[in-house]
Amino acid sequence: MRGLRIVVADDSVLFREGLVRLLEDAGHDVVAAVGDAVLLRSAVAEHEPDLAVVDVRMPPGGTDDGAVAAVELRSAWPGTGMLLLSQHVELRHCLPLLGRPGFGYLLKESVLHLDDFDRALRRVADGGVALDPVVVQALVSGQSAPSVVGLSVREREVLALVAEGLSNARIADQLRVSDRTVEAHMRAVFTKFGLPDDGDTNRRVLAVLAFLEANSRP
Amino acid sequence: MRARTVRVCTALAAVVVLATVVVGVATGSTADVLAGVLSLAAVGVGFVVVREQPTSAVGPAMAWCAAAPLTVVLVEALAQSAEGASLPPGASLAQAISVGIWPLNVAGLVALLLVFPDGRRPGWPWRAVPVLLLSATGATVFALWGSRQVGGEVVGAPSGPARVVAVILGLALVATCVGLGVASVVQTYRHGDERRRLQVRWLALAGVVAAALLVAGWVAEGLGAPLALAYTPHLVAIVVLVPAAVGVAILRHDLFDVDRLLGDTVSALVTAFASAALFGAVVLVTSRAVGATSEVTTVTAAFVTALFLLPVHRWISSVVGAVVDHDRHVAVAGVERFAADVRAGHREPEEVQAVLRTAQRDPGLTLALVRVDGAWVDPQGVEVPEPDGVTVASCGVPIARIHLDHDTARARRRVADLATAAWVPIEVSRLRLGLRGAVAEAEASRARLVEAVAEERVRLERDLHDGAQQQIVATGMRLRRLQRDLDPVLAAEVDTVVADLEETVRELRRLAHGVRPARLDDGLGPALEAVRAASPVPVDLVVGDLPPADETRTVTAYLVVSEAVANALKHARARRIDVEVGSSGDRIAVEVRDDGVGGAPVDGPASLRDRVASVGGQLSVESVAGRGTTVRAVI
Repeated sequence: MRGLRIVVADDSVLFREGLVRLLEDAGHDVVAAVGDAVLLRSAVAEHEPDLAVVDVRMPPGGTDDGAVAAVELRSAWPGTGMLLLSQHVELRHCLPLLGRPGFGYLLKESVLHLDDFDRALRRVADGGVALDPVVVQALVSGQSAPSVVGLSVREREVLALVAEGLSNARIADQLRVSDRTVEAHMRAVFTKFGLPDDGDTNRRVLAVLAFLEANSRP
Repeated sequence: MRARTVRVCTALAAVVVLATVVVGVATGSTADVLAGVLSLAAVGVGFVVVREQPTSAVGPAMAWCAAAPLTVVLVEALAQSAEGASLPPGASLAQAISVGIWPLNVAGLVALLLVFPDGRRPGWPWRAVPVLLLSATGATVFALWGSRQVGGEVVGAPSGPARVVAVILGLALVATCVGLGVASVVQTYRHGDERRRLQVRWLALAGVVAAALLVAGWVAEGLGAPLALAYTPHLVAIVVLVPAAVGVAILRHDLFDVDRLLGDTVSALVTAFASAALFGAVVLVTSRAVGATSEVTTVTAAFVTALFLLPVHRWISSVVGAVVDHDRHVAVAGVERFAADVRAGHREPEEVQAVLRTAQRDPGLTLALVRVDGAWVDPQGVEVPEPDGVTVASCGVPIARIHLDHDTARARRRVADLATAAWVPIEVSRLRLGLRGAVAEAEASRARLVEAVAEERVRLERDLHDGAQQQIVATGMRLRRLQRDLDPVLAAEVDTVVADLEETVRELRRLAHGVRPARLDDGLGPALEAVRAASPVPVDLVVGDLPPADETRTVTAYLVVSEAVANALKHARARRIDVEVGSSGDRIAVEVRDDGVGGAPVDGPASLRDRVASVGGQLSVESVAGRGTTVRAVI
């Protein structure tokens, strides 16, 4: 598999260096590793990488500068995927990007699951989504909103896993059902959201978007 | 009156007085010399008044108060000289009228009463007085024409009905004149301003003393004292006290507390007469009715009098005070009533400034209190610069000061009396102010403490996330790299270790969340959403428009909801919980209702109550057994 060209931004040297090693071990090309949001902007502008892995909390502000920079960079460099890493769920500044193509939000310990993490990297770089289950949980937890579009409980569960970025096969695995069942649920979801059949990836992203929008509305 | 006339009149009086002294020396009459010398005081006061008020008739009237009787004395002396060998000019006329001109004795006094304290009164009854007095003199001169005084006895008085009528008419007219003079003074008192009233009081003080001494003279005469001794104090009072009082009234009416002086004098005199009467009555009853010996009657009378003296004096003082010094009496009584109302809990002590203003009739009066820390504050507690005015003290330590807009020596004396009556409300409002200050300070310090704790929580949460969690993940990453070079058995062991590390990270996250839910960074709504998500029973969450709030208030609102929900789950066995968060003005309103067993303590958990109170909020719990619990907070 071809390695990705990646920019890493994290103010903790320990974590940054560890991550760079892991990424390089996995065959990726880390073109820049920086410690704040300002350097992140110039690094992305300089290298136009496939992907930027960004810590939410970073200097100079020390609050959510990473998220703010990611939102800006995402629209300035459509070819660069943005994967945010955080110690906890803090969605204030990246709400407009949640579920959009080429954007991911994972908790930091996700990096310890090397394979899953690698898949998430590639998905986001390819214009897919990757959301931590905790994030999805935070967004949809206990909501009754999906009834607006008449989703069943099972359809909701499937869609939540889609939002996390899982493939049909892995969803089937997790829910202990067959692939075909998952596909059937997804078709039902597409129909209920009124999404036309124009290539699977795009439609999945749109479904997740519609789902998240319906849920994040107060 | 014109200044020149005033000066001439006063000078004439002086001439009369000096002439009396000269004549007295010449004829060897000690009484005349003494009368003349004493009268110099009145003339002196007359001149001083003239110098102060050159156009006022009071000066000459004062001088003539003494000079008029001396004029009569001079005429009598002239008449006496008619007995001698060489007749001075006019001696025979003087002899003819000398007995009948006695009404002129009161001419000066009546004039003084009419013009006191600042000139002639307008209106015909007053202007008629000189005419009436002259008519009276005419009538008595006519009635007694030709009679003579020999050794104190009037001899050769003509008789006949016409003369008798003339005498009666003369007496009646003199009485009318004196009555009009007194009426004039009463009129001045009733319609005059505060200054005139004070001046009249001075005159009244002298008048009361003179009258009392006159009565005492009667009594002394009745008891057999010689005439000269019995009436001398009265005459001295007339000749010395009245001029002195008039002088003070005109020149320095604010010199002493005349109100109190007058009241005390009158009540002392009334008490003295009352005790004398009581003593006499007891003596009479015990000696006549019981027939006791004189020692027994005296002792009994003394005992009874002593028994009643003090309470009677108090009662008389208050009655006399109410009559003589009506204004002060009313003012002090008003303040005392207020103080009693404060003690009974009907009024607030903080009203004391308004009450003092009303009682003192000074809308500009301000009360400044000494705060516990020694600073001067107004009754609302606002700091003011140290005022000047009348100091109110407690055991010698100043506790308040009353500043007067209308500041005179008299006003200060009056307000000092009022302050004594209002001491309790003043001290209570001062102490309450101190208490309020202390409570406010305690609240502020508690709020600062809570704020500091909130900041500390934010810092701790950051430290946990960015420090410990981050390091554990970094360690996990290093283990993952090492793992690649290990054999499968050890690699599997590393998997377990990494899984443990992950669990530790999650544990730290939960810990940090307990310290301060990180989701509060996204706002109160999303943070409460997480509370709802974590609840095993359905929670209906409604988040309305929230007012802008700081970290402390937001965290407090969050904790109220999460704790109330936790209690509902733990203790109330609720099947459904409704949470409503919205705004009440610029405050956050929180309401958590459950359908559980109810019966929770109505003041809520102490920790929660303290927390809500520390940000100036209120917490209320409504919990009836079997009908669920409702927790409300306004933050």
